[in-house]
Amino acid sequence: MPLPTARPDDPAAVLHSSPPPRAGAPTVLKIVIAGGFGAGKTTAVGAVSEITPLSTEEYLTEASADVDSLAGIEAKVTTTVAFDFGRLSLPDAPMPLELFLFGTPGEDRFVDLWYDLSRGAVGAVVLVDTRRLESSFTPVSFFEDIGLPFVVAVNQFDGAHRYHPEQVRAALELPAAVPVVTCDARDTNHVAGVLLALVDHAVNSVATINRAGHAPSTTFQDA
Amino acid sequence: MSTYGRAAEESAFVRTYTVTRGRTKPRHLLALETVLEAGQGRPGPAQAEECEEILALCRERRRSVVELAGRLGRPVTAVKILVSDLLDADALVVPLTHPYADTGAGSGPSVQLLAAVTAGLKRKWPDAVAYCQAG
Ligand SMILES: Nc1nc2c(ncn2[C@@H]2O[C@H](COP(=O)(O)OP(=O)(O)OP(=O)(O)O)[C@@H](O)[C@H]2O)c(=O)[nH]1
Ligand SMILES: [Mg+2]
Repeated sequence: MPLPTARPDDPAAVLHSSPPPRAGAPTVLKIVIAGGFGAGKTTAVGAVSEITPLSTEEYLTEASADVDSLAGIEAKVTTTVAFDFGRLSLPDAPMPLELFLFGTPGEDRFVDLWYDLSRGAVGAVVLVDTRRLESSFTPVSFFEDIGLPFVVAVNQFDGAHRYHPEQVRAALELPAAVPVVTCDARDTNHVAGVLLALVDHAVNSVATINRAGHAPSTTFQDA
Repeated sequence: MSTYGRAAEESAFVRTYTVTRGRTKPRHLLALETVLEAGQGRPGPAQAEECEEILALCRERRRSVVELAGRLGRPVTAVKILVSDLLDADALVVPLTHPYADTGAGSGPSVQLLAAVTAGLKRKWPDAVAYCQAG
């Protein structure tokens, strides 16, 4: 089929009242932004997104933790969970591309949703707040388990002790191949640099690991 | 805790249930990132008012399922059900994706695609912090 000659998001196209013929839509690539409560996920999405980050809701059914559940009956409750969405187009890429950014909910009991957000993604950024390093363990082990390439971005919060990236690597027991960088999630050029580091790491991961071996249906048990 | 805010959540669930007329599963296989654009068809007369909102948004530009859900303030599953109705009426269509999108099933994007992302990011943000030498 012929390649589209005009950028689908060309502002000139908006002038026509009817939608353009179905030329190829931009290829969509997903990137997951994870991290514990208040680690800067929404801020990072907003720093590079072309739209104000949207808070999107989904229903999840989970086993009820109620003590009064009848024994032997698997009680299910429906909970609402919200995650961030942002997007950005790369009009000057060799082909029309759009990046979708998904900020995970901070709570780690919503692992089903993490799967949905991660399926087919380029990779993940795990934002780390060094004041609450322990909240980074769950996302780190989740992405390790599903074989999704990830980078760790250490946020430099005001008043927080500045750790060297290698100290964070040691504390989180990260393999040498996982990039650990420091960033300010409020700064567009910092977050863009983190995305570049992630894509670079994803390329290296494709080269070294056969990721096709990871079935998406693998059951993940909460640690 | 799982009991926190339960009442509020249940009433929100009931409202969604009304919007989708009792249905809890979309007929079409739609992902969060599935992109939709306005088609030639018209939705049936008895559609939820959210359907008009969805169509208006998709006439402005292509929109993904996740974006529609975020803008409507409705849970993703409810929006998938409404989008399924609109697809059946040809009021929405799933646009052809650029042929480069072809990636191996189940695995991540191809190296060529990743290289294009790198090039696109560098052109968009020439002053991006260089954390790594390669690429
Ligand atoms: N100094 C500094 N402050 C930051 C940085 N990133 C985020 N913040 C601030 O930290 C606060 C929390 O950031 P959010 O982006 O809301 O964090 P979050 O991970 O989305 O939080 P939850 O969704 O509640 O889990 C906000 O007030 C941000 O302005 C950073 O890199 N440096
Ligand atoms: Mg947030």
